[in-house]
Amino acid sequence: MAKVAIDINGRLFQEEVPERMLLVDFIRERAHLTGTHIGCTYEGVCGACTVHLDGEAVKSCMLLAAQADEHKITTVEGLAPDGELTPLQEAFKSEHGLQCGFCTAGILMNMTDFLKRYPNPSEQEIRKGLIGNLCRCTGYVHIINAVRKVVQENQLRKT
Amino acid sequence: MSQRKNDDWMGTPLPRKEDRRLLTGKGKYVSDIVIPGALHAVFVRSEYAHAKILSIDTSEAEELAGIERIYTGDQIKHLIKSMPQPIVQPALPAHYPTFWPLAVDKVTFHGEPVALVVARDKYVAEDAAELVFVDYEELEPVLDPEEALKPESAIIHEKDGTNEIFSMTFTGGDTEASQAENAAEVEKIFQNAPIVVKDRFKTHRTGVTPMEPRAILCDWDDSDGLLAYITTQRPHIDRLALSDILDISAEKVQVIAPRDQGGGFGVKAPFYRENIIIAHAARDLKQPVRWVESRYESLMNVGQERDQINDMEIAADLEGNMLALRNFGLADNGVGTTGVYWGFVMPFLGAIELPNGYKWPKADIRLKVATTNKACLTPSRAFGHFPTRFAIERCIDMVAHKIGMEPSTFRRRNLVADLPYTSITNEYFDSGDFLKVWDTLMEKANLPDFRVQQKNALSEGKYIGIGFGCGVELSGVASELFVPMENQPGYGAATVRLDPRGKVQVFGGDAPGGQGHETTTAQVVASEFGISPEDVIITTGNTGSTPFGSGSVGARMGSYFISAVAEACRELKTKIAKFLAHDLQLEASVEHFEFKNGEVVYLGDDSQRSSFMSIVERIIMFPINMPEGETGGLDATTFFEAAKPMICFNADCCVVEVSLETGDFKILKWITAEDVGNVINPLIVNGQMHGAIVQGISNTVFEEFVYDEKGQQLTADFEHYKMANAADVPNIDLNYATTPCPHTPLGTRGIGEGRPSSVPGALTNAVCDALKPFGIEITTLPLRPDAIWQKIQDATQ
Repeated sequence: MAKVAIDINGRLFQEEVPERMLLVDFIRERAHLTGTHIGCTYEGVCGACTVHLDGEAVKSCMLLAAQADEHKITTVEGLAPDGELTPLQEAFKSEHGLQCGFCTAGILMNMTDFLKRYPNPSEQEIRKGLIGNLCRCTGYVHIINAVRKVVQENQLRKT
Repeated sequence: MSQRKNDDWMGTPLPRKEDRRLLTGKGKYVSDIVIPGALHAVFVRSEYAHAKILSIDTSEAEELAGIERIYTGDQIKHLIKSMPQPIVQPALPAHYPTFWPLAVDKVTFHGEPVALVVARDKYVAEDAAELVFVDYEELEPVLDPEEALKPESAIIHEKDGTNEIFSMTFTGGDTEASQAENAAEVEKIFQNAPIVVKDRFKTHRTGVTPMEPRAILCDWDDSDGLLAYITTQRPHIDRLALSDILDISAEKVQVIAPRDQGGGFGVKAPFYRENIIIAHAARDLKQPVRWVESRYESLMNVGQERDQINDMEIAADLEGNMLALRNFGLADNGVGTTGVYWGFVMPFLGAIELPNGYKWPKADIRLKVATTNKACLTPSRAFGHFPTRFAIERCIDMVAHKIGMEPSTFRRRNLVADLPYTSITNEYFDSGDFLKVWDTLMEKANLPDFRVQQKNALSEGKYIGIGFGCGVELSGVASELFVPMENQPGYGAATVRLDPRGKVQVFGGDAPGGQGHETTTAQVVASEFGISPEDVIITTGNTGSTPFGSGSVGARMGSYFISAVAEACRELKTKIAKFLAHDLQLEASVEHFEFKNGEVVYLGDDSQRSSFMSIVERIIMFPINMPEGETGGLDATTFFEAAKPMICFNADCCVVEVSLETGDFKILKWITAEDVGNVINPLIVNGQMHGAIVQGISNTVFEEFVYDEKGQQLTADFEHYKMANAADVPNIDLNYATTPCPHTPLGTRGIGEGRPSSVPGALTNAVCDALKPFGIEITTLPLRPDAIWQKIQDATQ
């Protein structure tokens, strides 16, 4: 067993866990934050479990809980702590960027980080940025539209 | 998009009611539901495609701390009825295999459940599963459907004495003599036709696996019985099946499909064997038991469809008239041990839908389905007709090439122009305007312009091509088809309940998986009552509170369910009007009132009105001084059945550029035209179309379940079972050419289910059009660069 202290969305979780416990299981079963999903067999392909580790998008099925000891994790539940949706969440709503919602948390976490790194991406760059997230429902079209909407809003704000 | 008079919400792109919770991580899927003390179940699955089970040693596994119980087939076969059971058996004559949830005596595919470990901790359950030792004696695997039907083949289900699970002739009437006569007439047409194209069209094993794998959480109480949370499109069917098979009296079985489900696409429509044993374990251990399927298990067991050979022939004349169609289909069923569908029900419907929207004077259409040692086919969006649509849309282009006619012109000439129409396989097309859809597509495609561009491109050494395809799709499944096909009713059922505050609850027994039922339903109810969609909530999928529904399958939402909702609202409006007329002392009934802006207004004198809330409150809470013969309360359940089966229609055009050097191709444009009937929410309809088309592209190009020569499943993770990502697929130009459905109260059609089916033909036609200088005709999927490159090599040498 290992003792870990993991900050998730500003709350500190001090727990004793089996060494082999995956971070995604810690998030779902110890912190009871079930917005982070598991869509593949822990192979890092589907991206539904994407969270932020110290502000950077990572796949939480590819990390052990022990590796997150003393680190800060943000999950989808932590994106809008005051209940006011972020512009990206709002855009997913207005552009119908989600259907079943199973992949959505991971996409929001990935794209939130992506837009910080690439504030003015082209459509093709957004598509490439999404390679690590599989979506079965939308055909990606409305997801791209949602991300582009945020980019356009940000560009307008700058000018 | 059409807008009906006085309807504020019909046709409105209202952002979805579902979205806020899903965007903030508050959705509750089956695997998110917690029952304290729930045990974790892990399956031990077969390592072989076909083998005798000599022994199973669970002793070492049982010694791990925290193991509650390990089940094997031998232990449960006397406690649980075998499948099939009538509730999950179609009314079609077939060799239905006998099986239990865990393999008994032998295994019949790689991944079949052999034992079940139930433990307090999921990591320990997985450890224990690895310590269950199964001693097998390998048997010869049956892997090729043609070989499977030869007399010398090993037999998978011995009691049947054959691997032919199902066969049927779809044309020429019901007797062997009339079918033979029909076949002879068709043969005569082929002998005399100036143009005949004959080829073998193969589609590979693929499907629409949802992002959320299967899951089930069962609880047991000796007096209340079984409570099962299941990822399912059909909670009411699951309830009856669990009751029958486990001998639990039906009133003691409640199934809940949570409102949040991570996609279904048909994969969550069957009744699965895993659910039987998990429910049994909960009852046996008197403890909650949870099973969450891994992606590895999911790809080994479900989501596999489309695996079919079609030997197709088309006869035509030189003017471009279709004369006859002949098709001998052979589907690879897999093992066949899946309730409701058994594998062959998909190819069965695929054969019915084979003629598509074309006028065929004569046809001879037959199907054989062979059992093999692979996972059983499970439904996948475009249920059963992805293979037959690929074959026919591809074959039509080959005929057009032979005539020397534009394939699009050949199609238009033979499309059914006057509806209603009964197809050569007796499929009823209730309404629509195929030519309007086709012409809308052609206007956007601008073919003459493209041919000029293509010529110019060719002179620069670039190979671009254009391809077309179309599809008649089911808009819901009428009882007329549903009862024989799946032994289930096709009607839509809804309860609409008003509360004294003027708010509305809707209850539906189907179980959506992301299609936006909450929003669409709220828009319809709000339009009917003249209130806000915010005032409407819907409960789906709970067998304890919803009327019977056959499930979220076959595009039943926009056709059947929403029609039941509208009719229930109208029933309540009639009652509200009666009370209001009585209270206002008016000689008036429902047609004299308008429901709008939260009020009910008398049309003869608009000073005579009531707020919606107060008249509703009056009827529910103050049932005195009532119209004669009336009672209080506002709650209606209606069952909607259309007089005849209904359809929708769509068409695709795509433009590709093919590289001669690599055989790779890029989709430059994807244009569509859709008749979806009256639209309730255009955002949602667009989303359905995008998703379906990309699923079609992904199935055509990327996804493929591969088995090796021993029947080992080689593609059981997303590294190997490649699904299209965002960078793999194009944007989509959707166009609408709608005609209201005359058989639904709102003019709506059920849409989206069959939509992927026209994609493989259109896309492959575009690649072949680009390579027309080489005369290349592709007849086998998947459509991969290496295969295209080989064709180019063969043609240029």
